[in-house]
Amino acid sequence: MKTRLPDHGPVEAPRFWRTLEERVETPEARQAAHDEFLPGAVPAYDDVHGLPPQSGVSRRDFLGLVSAAAALAATVGCDRKGQGTVVPYTKRPVEVTPGVANYYASAFQEGRRVYPVLVKTREGRPIHLTGNDEHPGVRGKTSPRAMADVLRLYDPDRLRAPKAEGRTIGWAGAEARLQGALKEAKATGKPVLLLSGALASPSRKALLADLKAALPTLEHLAYEPAAGDAAEEAARASYGQSVAIQPRLAKAKVILSLGADFLNGEDPETLAAWGAQRRLKSAKEPINRLWVLEGPLTLTGTNADHRYPVAPSRLAAVAFALARELAAKGLSLPAGADLSAVSGGAPADVPAQAWANLVKDLQHAGRNAVVLCGAQMPAEAHQAAHLLNALLGSEAVALSPAEPLATTRDLEAAVQGMAAGRYAAAIFWDVNPAFTYARAAAWKDAVAKVPLRAWIGLMEDETAAQCQLVLPENHWLESWGDYTTPGAAVLQQPTVGTLYDTRQGEDVLLGLLKALGSAPAADYHTYLRARWEKAVLQGGTFEQALHDGLVKAEAKTVAPAFKGASVAAAAGRATRRTEGLELVLFPGFATLDGRHANNSWLQETPDPISKMTWDNPVAVSVQDAQTLGIQEGDFVTLTLEGTTLRLPAVIQPGQAMGVLALALGYGRTTGGVAKGVGANAYPFLGLDPATANVRPGARLAKAGGRKELSRTQSHHRMEGRDIVRSLTMDEFLHHPQGHHHKPELVSLYEEQKFPDHKWGMVIDLAACVGCSACVVACQSENNVPVVGAEQVAKGREMHWIRIDRYYEGELENPKVVHQPMLCQHCDSAPCENVCPVNATNHSPDGLNQMAYNRCVGTRYCANNCPYKVRRFNFLEYTAYKTEPETLAYNPEVTVRPRGVMEKCSFCVQRINDVKIRAKGEGRSILDGEVTTACMAGCPSDAIVFGDLKDPKSRIAQLVTATRAYRVLEEVGAKPAITYLADLKNPVAGGHHAN
Amino acid sequence: MRTDTSVHAVPIPEGLLEPALTVGKVTPGSLDDQVLAFPETKPPKQWYLALAVTLSALGVGVACIGYTFTTGIGAWGNSSPVFWAFDIINFVFWVGIGHAGTLISAILFLFRKRWRNAIARFAEAMTIFAVMCAVIFPLIHVGRPWLAYWLFPYPNERALWTNFRSPLLWDVFAVNTYFSVSLMFWYLGLIPDIASMRDRTTSKLRKTIYTVLALGWRGAASHWQHYEKAYLLLAGLATGLVLSVHSVVSFDFATSVVPGWHMTIFPPYFVAGAIFAGFSMVVIVLVVVRETMQLKNLITMRHLDVMNKVILAMSCIMAYSYMMEGFTAWYSMNEYLHHGFMNIITGTYGWAGWVTISCNIFIPQLLWFKKCRSSYFWMILVAIGVTIGMWFERFVIIVISLHQDYLPSAWRIYKPTMIDFGILLGTFGLFFTLVLIFARVLPVIATTEVKAILPDAQPSHGGSHE
Amino acid sequence: MADANRTPLLDRAAALLAGPFLLGRQALSLAFLTDRETPEAPALALQRIPVTPPEHAIKRRG
Repeated sequence: MKTRLPDHGPVEAPRFWRTLEERVETPEARQAAHDEFLPGAVPAYDDVHGLPPQSGVSRRDFLGLVSAAAALAATVGCDRKGQGTVVPYTKRPVEVTPGVANYYASAFQEGRRVYPVLVKTREGRPIHLTGNDEHPGVRGKTSPRAMADVLRLYDPDRLRAPKAEGRTIGWAGAEARLQGALKEAKATGKPVLLLSGALASPSRKALLADLKAALPTLEHLAYEPAAGDAAEEAARASYGQSVAIQPRLAKAKVILSLGADFLNGEDPETLAAWGAQRRLKSAKEPINRLWVLEGPLTLTGTNADHRYPVAPSRLAAVAFALARELAAKGLSLPAGADLSAVSGGAPADVPAQAWANLVKDLQHAGRNAVVLCGAQMPAEAHQAAHLLNALLGSEAVALSPAEPLATTRDLEAAVQGMAAGRYAAAIFWDVNPAFTYARAAAWKDAVAKVPLRAWIGLMEDETAAQCQLVLPENHWLESWGDYTTPGAAVLQQPTVGTLYDTRQGEDVLLGLLKALGSAPAADYHTYLRARWEKAVLQGGTFEQALHDGLVKAEAKTVAPAFKGASVAAAAGRATRRTEGLELVLFPGFATLDGRHANNSWLQETPDPISKMTWDNPVAVSVQDAQTLGIQEGDFVTLTLEGTTLRLPAVIQPGQAMGVLALALGYGRTTGGVAKGVGANAYPFLGLDPATANVRPGARLAKAGGRKELSRTQSHHRMEGRDIVRSLTMDEFLHHPQGHHHKPELVSLYEEQKFPDHKWGMVIDLAACVGCSACVVACQSENNVPVVGAEQVAKGREMHWIRIDRYYEGELENPKVVHQPMLCQHCDSAPCENVCPVNATNHSPDGLNQMAYNRCVGTRYCANNCPYKVRRFNFLEYTAYKTEPETLAYNPEVTVRPRGVMEKCSFCVQRINDVKIRAKGEGRSILDGEVTTACMAGCPSDAIVFGDLKDPKSRIAQLVTATRAYRVLEEVGAKPAITYLADLKNPVAGGHHAN
Repeated sequence: MRTDTSVHAVPIPEGLLEPALTVGKVTPGSLDDQVLAFPETKPPKQWYLALAVTLSALGVGVACIGYTFTTGIGAWGNSSPVFWAFDIINFVFWVGIGHAGTLISAILFLFRKRWRNAIARFAEAMTIFAVMCAVIFPLIHVGRPWLAYWLFPYPNERALWTNFRSPLLWDVFAVNTYFSVSLMFWYLGLIPDIASMRDRTTSKLRKTIYTVLALGWRGAASHWQHYEKAYLLLAGLATGLVLSVHSVVSFDFATSVVPGWHMTIFPPYFVAGAIFAGFSMVVIVLVVVRETMQLKNLITMRHLDVMNKVILAMSCIMAYSYMMEGFTAWYSMNEYLHHGFMNIITGTYGWAGWVTISCNIFIPQLLWFKKCRSSYFWMILVAIGVTIGMWFERFVIIVISLHQDYLPSAWRIYKPTMIDFGILLGTFGLFFTLVLIFARVLPVIATTEVKAILPDAQPSHGGSHE
Repeated sequence: MADANRTPLLDRAAALLAGPFLLGRQALSLAFLTDRETPEAPALALQRIPVTPPEHAIKRRG
């Protein structure tokens, strides 16, 4: 390599000089000549210039290494798929610093619910949503569907430009046409129908009021198929107005749920209160008691201290009987309430002892008791709940004014109007009645009679197919808006410029206003800002409000008098008998009313109860399945009033006998992801709002054939193993470790030392309700791929965290437990030993690391994992992702190719982020500074991540709790995750089913 | 016939005489003509037909493997929690089958069991072909087969080593060692015979090929000396391998935490099972070989009888092993192990458990009867039963233990796909293709060794020494 | 890395062996490009969706 010159002394002549300086031979010249070609590189021994040897890499060695490295780099690169071109900004937007995330506050509306969120953007693209931490109610938490909606921003099926009669046209033409039709309608005095979603936005409401002033014949209906018509009807009957009913769990000692799924993840504020009440450190702390009476098993039912299966059609009767009993015990009925139709004594639906206990609990709790009714339950059940709350004088419930929603009756009137040719034009804004209206054929015929039909929405759906004008709307992440929430007025602002040629719906309306003569503002941003500066902001600036995402405001509540006179009719209806099976139609966990059916993250997130994905089988009770001879997955025909569907069936433990349950929102016919998934249950909806979602007289029969169910869990028993521990309050007080003793673990190996940090996690099962927000948060943060129905059926779903759900006891009314299960980052990990290529090892701060680029995919690690938390890319699950879907990826996390194993990494990218920041600021990491995605996403704060080496950290306190244990501790893997046993608070000496 | 070396020959009772190792009059010359001339003859139509069948099977396998490479392991039935299925079942199955050959050629050589001489080469060839079939699986079962070479600790610029604590890596060394030692051993044994063929052949092409392969063998005394020494050395090396290779393969399971795998009985249990399966395959092939190649006088009924006895003995050891598994499951008071064992006999795959037990324990008991040991029908029935039973035993070990282990939430039924079956079929195709080609191209019996045990092999008193 | 033992002889042996091997592999892969190894270049220009910052929005931090 290097040859030493023979030592003849310094070489004299002949020599050639390259510069004058060299000729003069100054030391600077020598150094310059020496450095000429490779500034900074120092030869180990410089023969030529007589300079002393210095340490470093010689030029020859450097070139040698560079060429070898280049060869290596080139060949390493040759294996990687999908290498694109990385091009730096030529004109960098001021807002965006590559590599640094921006956060914007905004809000997401889903039906009547508003979710204040914080949007994380990278390189200008929104990639992850969490709750707005400044909001006093949600405090940084949000719902699973809200978190998943970031994917819809990048939905390839989004409409990118306006269309007329199926052909793409420009906005000018489209708007001109719409404006023309409205101007004509105004001139002729013909009504115009505007069907939109719930009005939760005051500015939008003001805009619509302006529009109505400009066009007096405008008929507006706010239509939410998932809100539950019965609830609306009942509210109008009981209170004379539309109200939103919000539980205030902080004040509740006893909660009775009549099929109300208030713990299902849609309400982060309530879940936070629930978590706070159940995360007990000692048995001396107070805990509430949850009683649930319901037909289908809901998530709330699984978390109940006492649960009894009661058919939804019987809930009202049971609740009125309860009221009667309480009145007999001295609580005063509201004036005019007539319960004579209600028979005395305990109803047969609930065991006698339980009935007595329930009455006692409610009576003693009094103002601190609350009765909640599920949105889809019959109106009379709602009315019974309202009566009970009035009877108890409940302080644990808040009623707030709500914009009235259109019921099926209102919609039916509109359909008849359309069929009669009443309307000059119809505008459908963010609604899909062609899919959600029960009588699709009638709808289609009626709508065809409207001369101009315009549709404003995100992606072409069944309704858009029936409209001439199809106008693409901004996604809410690209939009302006405002909402009222308890405790704050919330702002929605765009977090990214529009991706396509879309407009905000409100801007279309402003254009209409302009055409009709009034022009309140040039665009909606101006309109919104003006309204806020005038009416909402008290002293602060609009910029500050945008920064925070909100302005704190007093929660507006109403306390309408309960109309006692409404009771008699309701009680009368409650005692109706129903024949045959009753079918309960509920909004799907993944799809809600069908709007999210094209969101593959949601379709693949398993329903928390049935663990089903990509499908809506009809749920049959254990008893009925036995009678009808139905087994899991059998195809059945479900018939109700002339409509028949052929569907797969699942057996649902805990479901009341005689009750069938079917999710709405499936069976879409448009959308690349949604098409053909499941069956459309909307035709079964009733036209009487009072009982729209609970339909008697259904018939079920085996249809022959079986479907391979796309279920993430196919075994539901714990088999007597110590996996999920559940304690009653009595057990918590006296023997929290039960009869389990810590196994004595002996190891031949030295324990690994963790010098700086040792990351660990504590999951409090008492706070976990099973809502699966952590699953969606993790998928969003870590680029977890979606595999599709067929692959889920084969057991290849890729979620890094899953919620295991077990049934214990009798299947007719089982005890249900949930357990988030993720990589336990075992100190003595069975997976690390067996990888032949060292692709998985233990970091010095306690993480089990996965080196994707080293993994060859022998899958031995997955076999050896006792928790089965490792996920293998059996196929190229990301092969067909192109823009826009690739824009949703988190750039801080590798996207894994086929043949590679992956698993939870404790969000190592977040850990490193914080470490770098702390190092840069010259300080140590604070407790709570690192939050994993699952921890940040959990609304009830069940997941706590932290440094076990920090004695002052929250996690260090929790691991020594009396309820603490580890799963499969006897295997000796030394997991870094500690679980705190679930707590149940049944009446002393009892359990959930007695 | 052995005779006493003392001068006054005392007649030895017939019953105590070692049975004849060959049937009829066999001289070195006739042996050569019978065995060495075979490769020079044209194969009959049936051979071509058989080859066509095996090649088609091989083709199916190659296509399925190609499909797997382009699509991914998802083409198979593997999923969570059954991350290993047909791939590793087939791997262990084929490695197991290879053990008979090495036992016969190496261990029996060291024990000086002269009856192994006639069958050693074919058995050893079968070992090599079986290991070739086995080696396919570690290469194709990985998620990224184009990086399978990362399992070898080659020098690299990143200072990356493989993980020597992983049983899969021990497999890499064990199977490679097994293959290379067996190949060398087999080839060494072939050299004198190839030299004979070189000297006998009239075809110029064949002569060239044989000359190259014979490595210059002249049959000189010094050559024989080196040969005997090398043979002994390799036999010694290979002997250890018979016990170690399948023990190492069993470590894939025994060193894991999976209930039903984590058992100390696995190494001897696997080795016994390997010998069991291997001998059965050898019996099947040798029956066909002796009939179709007219080698009945060299591969005698006695050979088959003795091999059947070995199969019977192994079957008894397997019976013991199964009973010990059951006892261990009960005695351990370990609910996971107990559940795993009950799964084998009463679970969803209980039928596979019973196939295993019937084919491996019940049916081979027929071999207690001399009639069965001497009848083609019965011995082939038993041998095929054992082959099926041993494949199912690996199925039982791998699939049943994996599909229901610690956390019931992960439990799931495994279903193989057509690609899985296609690849299994392909390995049978490969194995039998190689067997067919070997039978026609190389001398299937080690004439050198058989000559050493012929009655007139030793130059005195018409008998032969030990 | 600086405090790891230096083994120049071993490194050079590795480079000697690894270099030609890897180059040869790359040459072969370039010569026999299969679908699997061709990087999927996403269709540029027309299909690239422009990501622009939002107007008038105020960020919380970043």
